[in-house]
Amino acid sequence: MNRTVEMLERGRRDVGLSQGELWFRYFELGGMSTALEVEAYLYGALIPTPHDGDLIAAALNERFAELGGDHPIPYSDDE
Amino acid sequence: MTDRGGAGELGLMIRLLPNQVVVEVIGEVDMVTAPDLGCLLGALVDRGHTDVVLDLANLDFLDSSGLQMIDDTSARLRPSGGVLQIRSPSARTRRLLDVSEVSGLVEFEPSEPDLVPLGSEQQADDGSTIVSATTTGPPVGVGRVAAMAAGHDVVDAALELVTALAQATVGGADGSSVSLARHGRIGTVGATDDTVAQMDRDQYATGQGPCLAAAGEGHWFHIESVAEEARWPDFVPRARTGGIGSILSTPLMAAGRSVGALNIYSRTERAFGPPEQELAALFATQASRILASAEVAAEQATRLQAALRVRELIAQAQGVVMARQGVSAEVASATLLRSSRQAHIPLRRQATEITASTQRQVPLTGSEP
Repeated sequence: MNRTVEMLERGRRDVGLSQGELWFRYFELGGMSTALEVEAYLYGALIPTPHDGDLIAAALNERFAELGGDHPIPYSDDE
Repeated sequence: MTDRGGAGELGLMIRLLPNQVVVEVIGEVDMVTAPDLGCLLGALVDRGHTDVVLDLANLDFLDSSGLQMIDDTSARLRPSGGVLQIRSPSARTRRLLDVSEVSGLVEFEPSEPDLVPLGSEQQADDGSTIVSATTTGPPVGVGRVAAMAAGHDVVDAALELVTALAQATVGGADGSSVSLARHGRIGTVGATDDTVAQMDRDQYATGQGPCLAAAGEGHWFHIESVAEEARWPDFVPRARTGGIGSILSTPLMAAGRSVGALNIYSRTERAFGPPEQELAALFATQASRILASAEVAAEQATRLQAALRVRELIAQAQGVVMARQGVSAEVASATLLRSSRQAHIPLRRQATEITASTQRQVPLTGSEP
C-alpha cells in the first residue's frame, strides 16, 4: 500500500468536506474512532489501522464519486 | 469542530427580594448579549427597583459593550437615588471595571446578605404594590437558555421559566403563556395560571385573537383595551368575561419563521406601554432562542439516527460476508469496500443488496405461498 497521510488530508480538501463531516461519513460506514482521533490521523499525529484508513479512504472516495469523479484514494490491499 | 457561531451565551437568574433585585449573570456579556441584559436591567429600574445587584460570580466574559451597559444602567438608577451594586466580580473583571473607570459609578458589595422571599403585601416606595410581589417562593430563573437543547420536556421547562420571568418583570402583567405550533397544531406551553390557559384555549377554539394573529403573521398584536376592542369579535367577549383588560402577544421566531407567540395578559386596561412591549420582545427573543437550539438538536438527532441505520446495514452485510466466506470482520469489511468500488456503487447500496440476497438464497421454510 502506498497511501499516505497527505493523500487523505488532500482528498478531504479536494472534496470540500470539513473534518467533522468526514468523520460523520466515516462513522456511517462503520468507523469506530472518535472525531478527535480522525482529526489526528489527518494531521499525521496518530497512525490509523489499515482498516480505519480504508474506511476514511472509502468515505472520501464515495464523496469523489458523488461529485462525478473516480475513487482516487487507494486502499490498503491495493497493489 | 465546536464552532460556537461567534455569539456568546448568556443566562440570567433573577431574584426578587423585598427591597432588592439580584440579577445573576451566567456566561458571556458581549456585543450580542449586552443589549438583552441592558434591556432587562432598564426594565427593572423603570419598574421602580432602586436597589439592583449584579452578581458576576459566574460571569465568563465581559467586553466594552458590557461595560457600556453597566455604565448606562447606573446612569438610569441615579435620578431615583439608586446605585448599581456589583457582587463577586473575579479579579480580572474587577481590574477591567477599575481600568475603564466604571468602578467609580458602581458599588462593590462584600458578600451576599440573607435572602428573604418577597411578601405579597410588599409596597414600593411610591406606595404602589409591586406586581412581582405575587412571585414568592423559589427564585425565578432562566438558566443558560442559549445553551439549552434537547427534547420537548427540557424545552417546555425552559419556556415555563421564560413565562414566569415575563410575568414577574413586565409591569402590569398578571399572567403569561407561550403558544407554540407543534406538528401542525397550536397549543399552550408554560401558562402561569388557569385563567391564562383558558384565554389561550378560547383563542384556539374561536380561531381568532392576538396570540393566533402574532403566531400567524409574525409581528406583535396588542389589545390595549378589551372593553373597546373591535377586532376578533368571537374571542374578545370571552376575554371580557374572564376579567382580562389588555393582552400583548409577541411572535416567536425560529429559523426565520414565526412558530408561536409569547402572550402577556393583564386585568388592567392599557397596562402595556412601550417599555413593557420592549421587555416582552426581550422575553420573546429568549423563548425563540430556546426553540431554535431545540430545532438544531432535533436535526442532529435525525442525522445521527440515519447514520446509525446505514451503519447497521453495513454491519449486517459484513456479517453475511463473514458467514459465507468464513472470514474476520475486518476482512469482510475490506471485501465489501473492494466490491463496492469494483461495482461503482456506494457501500450502503452494496450492503443493502448483499443483505437482501440472503432472502433469495435461503428462503425460510413456509414463507413461500
